[in-house]
Amino acid sequence: MPNSRLYTLKPLTTLAPPSSSRTWQTAPHPTLPIVATACSDRSVRVYSLTSFILLHSITGGHKRSVRAVSWKPGTKGQSVLATGSFDASAGIWRREEQSSNEDDFTNRRIGGAEDEDGRDDDDDYQFSCILDGHESEIKSLSWSPTGQYLATCSRDKSVWIWEELEDDNFETVAVLQEHDGDVKCVAWHPEEDLLASASYDDSVRLYREDADDWVQVCCISGKEGHGMTVWWVEFEGSGMSKKDFRAQQEGLSDERLQHIERLERSGPRLATCSDDRTVRVWRRTPRDQPNASSNTGIPSIIRSAAIDEDWYQEAVLPQVHERAIYSVSWSQTTGMIASAGSDGKIIVYKERWKQESNGVDAQNGEHMDVDGAHRAEPQPLTEWVVVAELFSAHDVFEINHVTWAKRADKGKRWDGEEVILSTGDDGEVKVWEVFEPPSP
Amino acid sequence: MDDKDNANPTILNPSDLPSRRSQSAAKARDDGGSGLFDDLIPRYNYLSDPFDDPLSDSDVDGDAVESIDEQEIYDLISTISDPEHPLSLGSLAVVNLPDIHIHPPASPLSSISTVVVEITPTITHCSLATVIGLGVRVRLEQALPPRFRVDVRIKKGTHSTDEQVNKQLGDKERVAAALENGTLMGVLRKMLETCE
Repeated sequence: MPNSRLYTLKPLTTLAPPSSSRTWQTAPHPTLPIVATACSDRSVRVYSLTSFILLHSITGGHKRSVRAVSWKPGTKGQSVLATGSFDASAGIWRREEQSSNEDDFTNRRIGGAEDEDGRDDDDDYQFSCILDGHESEIKSLSWSPTGQYLATCSRDKSVWIWEELEDDNFETVAVLQEHDGDVKCVAWHPEEDLLASASYDDSVRLYREDADDWVQVCCISGKEGHGMTVWWVEFEGSGMSKKDFRAQQEGLSDERLQHIERLERSGPRLATCSDDRTVRVWRRTPRDQPNASSNTGIPSIIRSAAIDEDWYQEAVLPQVHERAIYSVSWSQTTGMIASAGSDGKIIVYKERWKQESNGVDAQNGEHMDVDGAHRAEPQPLTEWVVVAELFSAHDVFEINHVTWAKRADKGKRWDGEEVILSTGDDGEVKVWEVFEPPSP
Repeated sequence: MDDKDNANPTILNPSDLPSRRSQSAAKARDDGGSGLFDDLIPRYNYLSDPFDDPLSDSDVDGDAVESIDEQEIYDLISTISDPEHPLSLGSLAVVNLPDIHIHPPASPLSSISTVVVEITPTITHCSLATVIGLGVRVRLEQALPPRFRVDVRIKKGTHSTDEQVNKQLGDKERVAAALENGTLMGVLRKMLETCE
């Protein structure tokens, strides 16, 4: 295995003070240097990424654990946070942001919110409205990239899509009941109104709007899928071919250039992780390409097959985790993937060009990955390698969530530097610096 | 606890149950910020085990390094009460010493050990199998240091829906949500009362 684990993760700090009970998930704000953490003590904690201290504690809303948080993107002058709880409800919270927020946080003195004069209550997150409808625990929620839709999912096996018509007036635009078990996670495509959900029923499903109706357009399950609970699903960022290993196109073979071009047509890929201890990457068969599922000749009598999508497994990442993987995060800056789970490890993976194989006919590789069989794709040209493996990131505790975030503290080494945030059963959110190997 | 005069033929006599006196001092759970179930379940002192036999005095872990063996796991869970009968899981042979396994860390860099407990429901369609399994999982997560991962399963072939029950018991999120359910917590609390 050419696994050169050259990157190192170094603990930068722990957001302070930590929660005294399990924390589930941490969401970085889309523009401000703050994060929101969903806590099992029924609260949400908002921390600064500049000073690493607690700025706000959002309490008094939910009656059970807060399981998930999501910031609405594209808001102006105010921050909007959606919270999903085991009490089956979702909450919407708002806070007016003062001008030049970044300075606000930088200048904040040690000691936190109490030190600020004269802002007291107005400064807090205000409860705005409650979204009722799910029959049991909400497990995940996510705003669409335009902020138009909010998706929620629950143990009641359903995925709901809400649309905000005007402030605090949310309408249910879809209740999707395709899954046969708890829906663990929902995520939106970064460029299209395409929603993905992962479930206890071991499947991943994708939905889009067709003639005013949201419908399932793809289901990844059975032998094609994970075969065990899928805990997390996340799309690749937009325009990554200009940022990741594909950016350097000079001197590439035609084969590799074609690969880049085909991948562009597929669009952002999908990453999933599971109880089966694997992280997998899925890719869409581009529309303009004939694919297996639309060539069956069987006309769909229910609706036009034109909207169906074909997603296939592009890669199974090197299997390093020893127990269930709860979370996977795709960097929108570097294209690297981080994963974490029950074994307390944080793993970072990087995609790279596969070495040209000597003497092996790469044209019609029969030894391709099992799931790649009968697909248009020849032998994979790229491979994912583990570049960092960190043990016991939260001491002996499980890690429930991992995400990349823009670094914002004084120690920032370059513009756009990212840190990894991990959220654990110990109630801590840890910040990890990522050190690259020296350039050759 | 010792109402072994119950007419149920499958009840084991307490003196037949595997036991070993534990002389180790208090191995209280490391509470370093865990607090997972703190406000949900009263703390239990697992040293006062009613099945401890004061005669056999052969404790092995004399050294400072805390080591926990299968017998200790058994002692922790065998005294849990069955949710239906006023009997312990040990005396009903729902938990059995040979079905408890401890797996050491998979790598020298890891400190995570795994405890696997296979439970044998009294009847193959026992609807309470999930509750019993949950009780065992909660008891061990409560009593063991947090470096232990607890996997509770239904022993293969002893239950009609064992796959389904196993999946539920292995799902951390479901277990966490279940523990926030007042009714279910009442049942669990009652089952675990006898562990004091």
